[in-house]
Amino acid sequence: MGFLSKLLFKNKTQSIVSGNSDSVLIKGDELKRSVDEVFGRSLFVRLVDGGSCNACENELAALSNPYYDLERFGIKFVASPKHADVIMVTGCITRNMLNPLLKTYENIPAPKFVITAGDCPETGGPFKDSYSVCGPVSKYLTVAMNIKGCPPEPEAIISGFLKFMDMLKTS
Amino acid sequence: MDKILINKHIIESNAFVNSADNLKGSGKYLLGIAAADERSLNSKFGIRYFFGGNNGIDEYSVKVDESFQSISKVCPAAKMYEREIYDLFGLTPDGHPDLRPLMLYPENWNSSVHPLRKDYNNSIPEMKRYGEYKFKKVLGEGIFEVLVGPVHAGIIEPGHFRFSLAGEPVLQLEIRHFWKHRGIEKVCEGKDFKEALDLVAKISGDNNVNITISYLEAVESILNLEITERAKYIRVILAELERIWNYVRDVAWIFMDIGFALPAQSLFALQEELMKLNKSLTGHRFLFNALTVGGVNFNLDSSKLKAIDNMINKVEKNIKECEAFIVNSSTVLDRLEFTGKINKKTAEELSLCGISARASGLPRDSRIEFPYLIYDKFDLKPALLESGDVFARTALRIKEIYVSKKIIGDLLFNLPEGDIAVAYENRTEAYKYAAGNSETPRGNAFFYVMADNDGKIFRLKYIDPSFRIWPSIQYGVLGNIIADFPLINKSLNLSYSGNDM
Repeated sequence: MGFLSKLLFKNKTQSIVSGNSDSVLIKGDELKRSVDEVFGRSLFVRLVDGGSCNACENELAALSNPYYDLERFGIKFVASPKHADVIMVTGCITRNMLNPLLKTYENIPAPKFVITAGDCPETGGPFKDSYSVCGPVSKYLTVAMNIKGCPPEPEAIISGFLKFMDMLKTS
Repeated sequence: MDKILINKHIIESNAFVNSADNLKGSGKYLLGIAAADERSLNSKFGIRYFFGGNNGIDEYSVKVDESFQSISKVCPAAKMYEREIYDLFGLTPDGHPDLRPLMLYPENWNSSVHPLRKDYNNSIPEMKRYGEYKFKKVLGEGIFEVLVGPVHAGIIEPGHFRFSLAGEPVLQLEIRHFWKHRGIEKVCEGKDFKEALDLVAKISGDNNVNITISYLEAVESILNLEITERAKYIRVILAELERIWNYVRDVAWIFMDIGFALPAQSLFALQEELMKLNKSLTGHRFLFNALTVGGVNFNLDSSKLKAIDNMINKVEKNIKECEAFIVNSSTVLDRLEFTGKINKKTAEELSLCGISARASGLPRDSRIEFPYLIYDKFDLKPALLESGDVFARTALRIKEIYVSKKIIGDLLFNLPEGDIAVAYENRTEAYKYAAGNSETPRGNAFFYVMADNDGKIFRLKYIDPSFRIWPSIQYGVLGNIIADFPLINKSLNLSYSGNDM
């Protein structure tokens, strides 16, 4: 099979469904239903890295690889805060990044929610005692949910979004 | 293999400007400058210049009071290091052309507080504006500026880029970094070598194995610790696995940025499979905590070795297909060739390392120049290209995936028996220091670690390859259209967190 035809006809996203009840796709189906219900079919997320080690960004980028393909569930990382419903924060929040973080948050139209990804934005991680770190995020913004992990794996992030939807539905 | 040899020289500050010039003439290049507050030892600050070259690493150390002679004018690569020392230690580099604050922003930091001095009393300035940062202006009719960042459009780390343009071509790019400055060097002080591992791994998460190897080279040299052959083999296997997944990702992003999603997604899927392999080997997708002082934290049994073997064969097959795709597609070549060219002369002046140096014709690869672990066992030749453009950097990554695959393949079924870690006594002589280095997927990672008399870290200085290479983008984009900037940036794919520390 040629390179192109293999790319076109070997679908990686489907190959992980079988047998595993906890698989991405099954979680994703639930997620899609929740996104449809709560946010009228799409949840837009703006990412701000407030001082991570870049592992979290790698995992967030991995969400759009063929294995996870987050956008098919209605969740999209967007370029402008003006388009976003959710601000996702990674990293320990350095003094230098505090202002850009708060400015980005201000520019998101209400209703808006803060979700943190990874241990650093929640606790400051190993950097919490540093002279140039002023986190955690909860000092400055009301955090709707923390997705734990160092870094959180893609499936944990998808589960996190699902939990966030449940929270919104019940509250 | 012995630890890297360092030839030590003691110098007078004023004489150094001339010798720095001579050094450059003799083919040596700056690896880094490390300052340390040694006033408790000899009531002076120590500044150490590390130069690399064909005969190993040369160290030039000078004792200074409150100022020292800048070498930036003869050695432009020193510019950033000297600004850093001015910020963090408050020592003035006399004759430095540009002393704007680097990591301690005047927008939130009082410039009279220098956190890396030992008498810094942990007081943190109130969060308010203390001054203004001045950007360089290009003046003239029809010239406008485009400001990008610190918060970018995609899933990227923060950094500020300021373009001056006349029409589409870039006249000047000024980069302002250090948004993510976390003060890791200071946090490491007072921790013992094992405690600091967690911080070292998080300097730049995607290069953590190679960076940790460099750190351990320095630490194990301070402790006079010889690790087992098996542990060395496992370290090298992990380092090369990390290199492969990094390069696969980097090449994928190149395709993504030229709008060629099909091969890009195929490579992203391959990256995902490599991450899953990492997870099955050590329980962590980025191989965090795989290494420890004295060895490694886990063993490789035959089933794991088999899994690695299968995977690297698959990578080689997929990458070969991909390579054919690049070479045979005129639209791909049209975007990649002659874009973002970094001249050999620029690469030399800025002391570049890693892919960025090798793509511009400089044969710099720490695995070959300053071999560590068991890299001297392989007859490695630096993969070289001359053109210095995006194409060269992409093609080199592909070439080096094959090299890494071959290294792993050679080691997998020849693993020597033995323990994976040796016990050690955490005792050190006061002020004993050592350097360590390794070749990360981005280039040379350099550590300078000084111990106190208690087995704790007195001073730790890390120089990330990204710190050296970032300024070169400012030259690489000149004359290119602004729309090509993301591509040029991705072709170097530097770490913001490693740079900002």
